[in-house]
Parts: sequence; structure tokens; C-alpha cells
Amino acid sequence: MLWTDKFNIFIALVVPPLVIALLGVMGSISSTIPVMPINCVVVSYDSNTFINENNFTESRIDNYHGPYVNAVNKSELLNLVHFYNATTDIYGMESARELLNTKQIEIIIAIPVDFSELLTLNYPGLIDCIIDSSDPQKIQDNINAVFDSVKIFVKDNNLTPQFELRGFEEFAIPENYSPKFNNSIVMTLSFMVIGVGMVLTILVIVHEQPIARLLLTPIKRNEILLAKYITYTLVLLIQNISLVATALSFGLYIVGSVFDLFLALFVLGFAGLSLGIFISSSSKTKTEANQLFFAVFLVLVLLSGIFVPISAMPVYLQFVAYILPLSHGDPLINGIITKGKSVFGFDFYVLLLVSIILVVFSFILFKRRKYEV
Amino acid sequence: MVEVEKLNVHFGKKHIVRDVSFNVNKGEIIGMFGISGAGKTTIIRVLTCQIVQKYWSGKVNVTGLSPHKKRNHGVILSNIGYVPQLEQLNLYFDLSPLANVEIFTSTYGMGKIEAVKVAKSLFTILDIPKDTWNKRVKYMSGGEKKRLSMAIGLIHNPNVLFLDEPTTGVDASKRYEILSYLKKLNQKLQTTMFIITHDLEAALICDKAAILREGKMLSFDSPQKLINSLPSNGMIARVTIDNLNQQIISIIQQFSPIQEILRVGNEVVEIMMDDFEVNLPKLIQFIVNKGFNITAMSRDIATFRRFFQIRIKEEEQKEKDQSTLLVKNKEVENEKT
Repeated sequence: MLWTDKFNIFIALVVPPLVIALLGVMGSISSTIPVMPINCVVVSYDSNTFINENNFTESRIDNYHGPYVNAVNKSELLNLVHFYNATTDIYGMESARELLNTKQIEIIIAIPVDFSELLTLNYPGLIDCIIDSSDPQKIQDNINAVFDSVKIFVKDNNLTPQFELRGFEEFAIPENYSPKFNNSIVMTLSFMVIGVGMVLTILVIVHEQPIARLLLTPIKRNEILLAKYITYTLVLLIQNISLVATALSFGLYIVGSVFDLFLALFVLGFAGLSLGIFISSSSKTKTEANQLFFAVFLVLVLLSGIFVPISAMPVYLQFVAYILPLSHGDPLINGIITKGKSVFGFDFYVLLLVSIILVVFSFILFKRRKYEV
Repeated sequence: MVEVEKLNVHFGKKHIVRDVSFNVNKGEIIGMFGISGAGKTTIIRVLTCQIVQKYWSGKVNVTGLSPHKKRNHGVILSNIGYVPQLEQLNLYFDLSPLANVEIFTSTYGMGKIEAVKVAKSLFTILDIPKDTWNKRVKYMSGGEKKRLSMAIGLIHNPNVLFLDEPTTGVDASKRYEILSYLKKLNQKLQTTMFIITHDLEAALICDKAAILREGKMLSFDSPQKLINSLPSNGMIARVTIDNLNQQIISIIQQFSPIQEILRVGNEVVEIMMDDFEVNLPKLIQFIVNKGFNITAMSRDIATFRRFFQIRIKEEEQKEKDQSTLLVKNKEVENEKT
């Protein structure tokens, strides 16, 4: 009896250990991940000239921004990507913000104008840092990394350990919005849109028995599948409108355009929908389709970058992760909501390409599917 | 309307249909009879463009077009209707009958208003209760679903309607009802019908009956003509004998004019013989002389069922004789070598 259900036995016996193995690989990766230095930029406004208030005479004082930059370089927690001297390069801060916006760095360390002056006069030092707070889990790590550089600077230059670190959260949620809701909405939207898209379409082919009878009418196979895509795309459109409307009404803080968010959700949902139809076209029975859905969704979640950053995975897993739609959901939506980025970026085009490939394959599989009445 | 000449179907090494030929005229009801595996459904699948051309050969025309050419499929399928055996292959159970009509008729390009109008008239002919027209199909009875299935097969007024086991799974009393509905529809709409069935009672409404066995067509003619081809034009003597057993039957079979003798009850046999009127009194005398007690006797015309049984039996005997001959020949050859 078991032998008549080979596929499902295979899924039941092979998939769970594979998933555990994948978790194991991920776990070993995360435990051996060396602490990656955080990319940063230093922008110095330090003029290292001192104007005496009493007589307004100007004198040169010790240049402390140079040694601080050296301390940043020495720190194992920071990776200095660039140094801008804002006293000569007026666009330095703008360039730094651009790097922060495009996620090439996570911190801008700004040396204020009176940095050297304060230290020379034995006042407590002051460093400003602008942190990418779109990922709340990383804020503390970023601050600790800057403190590390300050410790090294103080030690190397025999300064008093009093130092003030002023943090500015870039891309932070304003106070009148719920940070909990806004921080959780990104992941929730990605999961929901792809998951519901798949669930909606996982049985559309395999469950609909009258398709066999429909094929004995002048209608063509392509027309049947196209009709399904059109129908469920319309459902997806309505779903996305209601999702965006609900999120906004409950206090979603969005820097970017609402239309971009809608488009991002649509392309994510369409990828999920196409994946569902693909699975349905390739499955012989409902049970097979359900089991495939479970296996595929599990892999989607595990390789989405939530548990282990994709960049930290082995190359072969990274390749797989970048093909999967869920891996692009978080950066795409996050970029629009917290940073005001345009939807038309790498993630959008990858999702579009994946969807097109799935659509093409589902048409091919459906055309070859055997129906007998 | 349908022409088939030397149709052969092969799936790999299996020869499913062998040299089948027949012609069907407009408005005829054709019954295709045979046990499972006879090839009935395969033939219908060829006619309904379900089997790819590489698997079959021969000349086939359905409503003037050959299913050989893929470009003809759309036109052929728009000219035919199909009623599958299982309703779940034909009906969306979560939708109402009229909603089902809309779905299937849209594939034929029929407008919604026209489709509903035709559907309602068919539903009336087929006695589908009005109060079910807008309720979900799953709440209909089995018989109602069957009739709805037939209606959907006929909505677009096809030239040919194929019905796969229309009476299977239906109560004995309802079977005649379904057959009479089919006859009624055939008379009203002049639709040519192919009925694939194990139910030999369907021959009652058939203009022609085809009997298939192991892919071969054994007979194709009107049921009456087929029955007339039996000894004495199908006349049978039905005799009830006390304590009837196989031995008694073997003794009775020694009466030479007997062509067929079939046990049809505990103590009842049906006998077919040459020159029925002349030999009947002689048969009675023969039985009495052998010391057997005849408790009842009647005469009747053979049914199609009898013809079917006899024809199949003849074919089986033929094959047995052929294989015995083959074995004997082989033995002779072996002895020679």
C-alpha cells in the first residue's frame, strides 16, 4: 500500500531530515560567523584652529581628527569605507548620506567642528554618529562599535576617558508612530503576500476535475491557465489594496511612495501566485501539492535571510537564496517604507524575472498534463 | 456523421483496437457494448480527439473532419458533446446548474441569455426540478446530477453526443427512465448518440449495436437484425425441468437441431434450435423420453442480452479452438524435429 504513494513517502521521509540538515548548516554558519566589521564613513568638520574669545587671536591646535580616524581604522568592529574632510569638501556629508541610503555603510561618524579644541582644552570629547536604524536589532551593535573606536582613541592618545557620543537615528520611526507595528509590518507583509498567493493557487489545477471535461470543448489549455492567472491576479490586486489601506490606517509610517509599496506587494504576491500555480501544475494529486507547498515554503523561509544573513551563507546557498522570492521581500519593502527608495531596483527585477520563469514553466507543465475523461 | 475504417490503436506493444470499421448516420443511437478492456472507451477517445495521432491509424471522420489533423480538433470538439461517467468530471459541485451551464457554454461562444434559455428547456425535458436550478449541484440527487450532466452535453446542440456509461450507478428503476430521456432527446433534437455501456438494456433504444471484444468489433447492426441472425430468427424455448443439473443439460444437448442451450435459472434452460416450429415438439418428446420431468414450457424471442452472451461465447470458443490447433501444430513440428 505504501508503495502506491511513493512521492508522498519520499516527501515525508526525505524532506524533514533535509530541513534539519539545512537548519544545522545555518546554525553552524551563524555560530562561526566572525563578527563582521560594520562599514562606516567618517566626516570631519574639525577645523583644528582655535579662536581665542578674549583677543580673537587664531592659533593652530593639535589635530585630533587624524588620530581618531586612525583609531577607527584600528577598531575590529568598524570598517572605514571613506573619510570626508567636510572643511574642504562641502558635499562630504551628502556623499556619506548617499552611502548610508544605499546601504553601503551603516554608520556615519561625524567629528564636530570643535573636536580638537575641546580635547586640547581638556574638555570631554564629543562624537556624533548617524546610525541606520531601519534594522532596530543592529542599533546597539552600531553604537558599541563606535564606542570601541573611542576607547582606542582615548587609550592611544592618553586622553581623559570622558567622551560623549551623540547618536542620531537615521530612517527611524517618528515618535508618534508605533515602532513595534512598523518594525514588524515589513516581515509580516512579505510572508503574508507570498504565503497567501501560494495558498490561493496551490490546488487550482490539481483539484479542479472538470478541467478534463473542459478540454473536450473548443477551449485551449493555454486559455484555461491564462484565465486562472487573470482571476487570481485580480484577487491579488484587491488583496494588496486592502492590505495597504489597512496598514496605513493603523499607523504605517512610510517614507517612500504608497504606490511603490503597492507595486512591491503586487510583484511579491504575483511571485507567490505563480509558484502556487507551478506547484499545482506539476502535482498529480492534492496531497502531493500540499506536501510540495509545505516543503517549498519551509525552504523559502529558511533561506529568506531572517535567521542567517544571506551574505553569510555558503556561496551555493546564497545562489539558491537569491533565486527565492521571499529573500527579496524584506529588502524591497524595507527600502520603500524606511528609506523612501524606489520600487524599481534589483529586488523588483529579480522577483519579476522569477515570476516570468514560473509562469512559462507552469504553461509548459499544464500543456503536458494528461487528462482523460 | 461518423465514419471509421480500419481503426487500429497501439500503445507501445499493446494492440488495443484492431481493424474496427463502422458508419453512423445522422440521428442514430449507437450502443457500444463489451466487457471492460474491450476497447470501447479507446474508440470514443479517438473520435473525441483525446488520443494523439501517433497512437492510432486508419480513416476516421467525425462530422466530416478527421481527428488526425490537430487543426480540426477545435471544430470537431465544437460539433460534439460528451457526458462522462463520473459527474465530478463534468460538473462544478459548488456552483448551481445554471452557473455550470454558463461556464461550459462560454467555451462554445454561446451568449449567456441564449445558453440559459436552452438550458431551461433541456432541464424541463429532462425533469430537473425548477427549485434546483439555482442551488448548488452538490445538493442534487444522483439521478438529477446525471440528467444535468446530459443537459450540459447537449446545450450547444452538438451533432454527435457521446455518453459514457449513462446508466451506471443508477437504480434499476431509474435506468429505464434515463434511457427513455435519451430517446426523447434524440427524437426531439435529432442528435446522433454514442452510448458506451455495460448495460445491455440500453440496446432497447439503440438503432445500432456494436459488440466489442479485445479490441475487435464482433458485430455491428440493429439489435433486431442481430437477434434475427440467431438460429430460427432468435426464437427460444424456455423449459423448466425438475432437478436440473449439468448432466441433464449435456444429455439434452445431444438433440441434434439444438444450436444453443443456456441455463438461465435454477431449473430453467433456454434452447435455440434450427427449424424451431418443426423441432419443438420433437425436443419435448426427446426430453420426456430421457425420463426428465418438464414442469413448464414457453416460447419467446431472444433478447439482445442472449445474443450478446452467445456471440461472446462463440468468439471465446473460436479462440480456444485456434489456440488448441496452434499447440497441436507445435507438437507435430517438435516431433518432426
